[in-house]
Amino acid sequence: MSELSAPSPTGGAMAGARVGATTPARGLSGLVSRRGLGMAALILLLSFLTIYPFSMLMYGSLHSTPPGMAGEYNLDGYRQLMTREALGILLNTIGISLGKTIPSLGLAVFLAWIIARTDTPYRDKLEVLITLPFFIPPILTAMAWAMLGNPQVGLLNQVFKWATGANYSPINVYSWGGVVWHMVQYSTPFLFLFIVDVFRAMDPSLEESSRMCGASRLRTFGGITLMLMLPALTNSFILSFIRGMENFESPLFFGTPAKITVITTEMYNSINHHATPDYQYATAIGFAVMALMFLLVFAQWRILRGRSFATVTGKGYSPSVMKLGKWRWVTFGFCALFFAVTVVLPVSQLLIGSFFRFFGFYQWDMLTTEHYQAVFSSSEIWRAVTNTMMLGLVGATLTMALGAIVAYISVRTKWRGRRVIDALAWLPWMMPGMVLGIGFLWAFAMLPGPIPIYGTIWALLLAYLALGTPVATRVMTGAYAQLSFDLEECSRVHGASFFQTLWRILVALAWPSFAVGWVLTFFGIMRELSASVLLYSVGSEVLSVVLMKLWANGLAEQVSVIGLLMMLLVILFRWVQIKILQRYVTTLGA
Amino acid sequence: MSAISLQNISRHFGDFAAVDGVDLEAATGEFLTLLGPSGCGKTTTLRMVAGLEQNTGGRIVIGDEVVSDAERGFFMPPERRQLGMVFQSYAIWPHMTVFDNVAYPLRIRRRPKDEIQQRVTKALKLVEMDSFASRPAPALSGGQQQRVAIARALVFEPRVLLLDEPLSNLDARLRTQTGDEFRALQKRLGITSLYVTHDQGEAMSLSDRVVVMQKGRILQIGAPEDIYQRPRSRAVAEFFGAPNLVETTVRGCKQLANGLFELDVAGQGWSGTCRAGEAFASGVPALVMLRPETLTLADAATGGMSWTGEVASSIFRGAQRSLVVKTVAGALNVDTTAFAHPAVGSQVAIVADAAAAWALPATRQG
Repeated sequence: MSELSAPSPTGGAMAGARVGATTPARGLSGLVSRRGLGMAALILLLSFLTIYPFSMLMYGSLHSTPPGMAGEYNLDGYRQLMTREALGILLNTIGISLGKTIPSLGLAVFLAWIIARTDTPYRDKLEVLITLPFFIPPILTAMAWAMLGNPQVGLLNQVFKWATGANYSPINVYSWGGVVWHMVQYSTPFLFLFIVDVFRAMDPSLEESSRMCGASRLRTFGGITLMLMLPALTNSFILSFIRGMENFESPLFFGTPAKITVITTEMYNSINHHATPDYQYATAIGFAVMALMFLLVFAQWRILRGRSFATVTGKGYSPSVMKLGKWRWVTFGFCALFFAVTVVLPVSQLLIGSFFRFFGFYQWDMLTTEHYQAVFSSSEIWRAVTNTMMLGLVGATLTMALGAIVAYISVRTKWRGRRVIDALAWLPWMMPGMVLGIGFLWAFAMLPGPIPIYGTIWALLLAYLALGTPVATRVMTGAYAQLSFDLEECSRVHGASFFQTLWRILVALAWPSFAVGWVLTFFGIMRELSASVLLYSVGSEVLSVVLMKLWANGLAEQVSVIGLLMMLLVILFRWVQIKILQRYVTTLGA
Repeated sequence: MSAISLQNISRHFGDFAAVDGVDLEAATGEFLTLLGPSGCGKTTTLRMVAGLEQNTGGRIVIGDEVVSDAERGFFMPPERRQLGMVFQSYAIWPHMTVFDNVAYPLRIRRRPKDEIQQRVTKALKLVEMDSFASRPAPALSGGQQQRVAIARALVFEPRVLLLDEPLSNLDARLRTQTGDEFRALQKRLGITSLYVTHDQGEAMSLSDRVVVMQKGRILQIGAPEDIYQRPRSRAVAEFFGAPNLVETTVRGCKQLANGLFELDVAGQGWSGTCRAGEAFASGVPALVMLRPETLTLADAATGGMSWTGEVASSIFRGAQRSLVVKTVAGALNVDTTAFAHPAVGSQVAIVADAAAAWALPATRQG
């Protein structure tokens, strides 16, 4: 009520600037209704991206046949979930996710401590290298590791045999350990990105006062530093655990050959590898996963409520850096080793793989460039490159624009309905790509004839938009939160209108975050596999799907070529992102 | 024996000297304040005493124990120095209760349980926080956190208490009250305290002695009255309030019985007497410091240090009124009672108190 009838002073100023002081009332009502229309459109768009596939998922799980076909409502899908086999898959998923999250967290804390709190040489460079794996599409390293750790012809096993003269293979990536190992490579940098900031932002006097109280450095670290970080560690643990349960690439590549099934691969198999796709079962799993995610997010919220310690102060001193003496080269070596194993090794495998006629047979007379020729002359691959680039550029731009608007409305205005918008934008956070993929699959199939989205590139674009919105919103929320309201109000007071203010001040000051978020979203689209593999059709393939098809056809060498090209792109974009961050974010912060 | 002795200590960051050859002695039970603008090296000095930063030159002795000697490469880590410290942000650990925060130093020292109970209760009583013992730390106000921080610093009976701008995060009224309470507590316990602040008022009202620092060096050490009324240099004089510094020429100088000097100085068209801390030769220039509150309004100029002039501005400050009066000696700041109310533009006469007029060498920097 108060929102509409008694406009805030900002609304008044805006109307005054627009229509002049003579007719403030008319200008105001016109503005309010225009704002109402805009909000309605936004809610509609977000509902289409989230609620619609969500309800289709529910419908699908309760209906015996795909949409449009005669069938009946029953609970068969859920009944299938209640079997011992399905329960085993669920436990498997939880086990694998726990199995990767725990060592990743330990590793990430150790790496973050090295980077943020020791005098290890070249820390700034190491930080960039350690976080690089996070930006590489997992499908690339999955394929590289499948070549490296293949029990018969894997490069690591060959080197081991050659070096020791043994005739057995110590490494087999097609195993529980292989799945976990591949996930650890991704969750460690992910967790590191969170934890290193917590280490850096901590008020150093909290630790110094412990030293003054007589506690040694070690005791201070255990009793104060880690305890203060506990909420943040719990938070990132749960996040990483959720991501582990959503993971598709690792169990697909390393679990499926070893008959290890998790929720995502089970969904994929029940649609793609059954004689008749069992949609009802797949959607029932999807729904169960979402319920589980919801419980986890709820648990996270309950655990952390009121426990996020404000340990950050603006005081000038940065946390003390521990002098390691000779040991600093050991910590340097550890960071370098992590980079070597997670990036250098798989990239080298791709490089080697791309130049030999057959992967696994590395002799001089097998050197060839025929795979490069094959890749560059394949129209299907070129189409996929074009599709991926188009989807990446357009998708990232649209996602960030949507995120910027949602974030602005939810943190910078008091407009009615802003909480609905915020909640809708967050909803996909609880939907793994695979689940959202199935939801969209049905959602698009159910659309009336004149809207041909099903089986087109638009289907992928909309799915990417939905998947990327939570992160985009979060990035922009952070960016707006750093800008004080004074800047905005100052601009308003000096006569700029609402939109001028938004453009001049917020966009001008928040654009580094926008750019960073854009690159992040672009990476997200490039690496996306689980939704794409369900929503693509002939003509709208993307690179990750093409890679998977080539791999399934045994063309590991061409996969290597494409993988290398994607790696180049990743490094290029990451470099641009870091340059932007260095130039703008640090100068803004200082 | 000094409780703290800093012997020519320095802290260099590359070519930049944050602290440059500081010598300082604090007597047992003394309240010593390091005062200066931000970046003057006062906090760095305190942190070197604490052991949170390593001095790159000189020696630090606490009691009869050398805790740091740069020349010999000896450095004792902070946890072994047995010092209490109160931080600007209080550094109360948010994951513990008030009791646990204060008990921490004793638990580190593995004291028996009943002793911890008794000493923590006593320390909390000292700062009147005993009824808050079971509160979680984030549920405290700033002033309460500050008290807990003091209790935690005192609970293990440290040799010296270090305080890094402990009042700066409190609001103005609480600041004065807490400062006075802390000073009373410090006197009662007789604990040697090294206090860092940029607030002149705090330094004046709390300290036994004040150390004025600038650019990593000590400008002057003395009792608050000395520093305020008898500064050695223009920089120290200007650090407190807005003193009038009038350019004069010395005409005569004689030593007084209390060791000070009386100068005969002349300005443009006027002359008078003032005090000085050192002998001046005749004919050299001197700056005469006239604190605004030592100038009074009179009916007419009386000769000596008195002038007439036009009131250029008048600001009511509640307890007093600040005037700017244009005279032959320059535009003078005058603080008078709020009831005196000369109109802007009117002519007034100003008389200086010769005992409060203080001469500085015009050429001395820093």
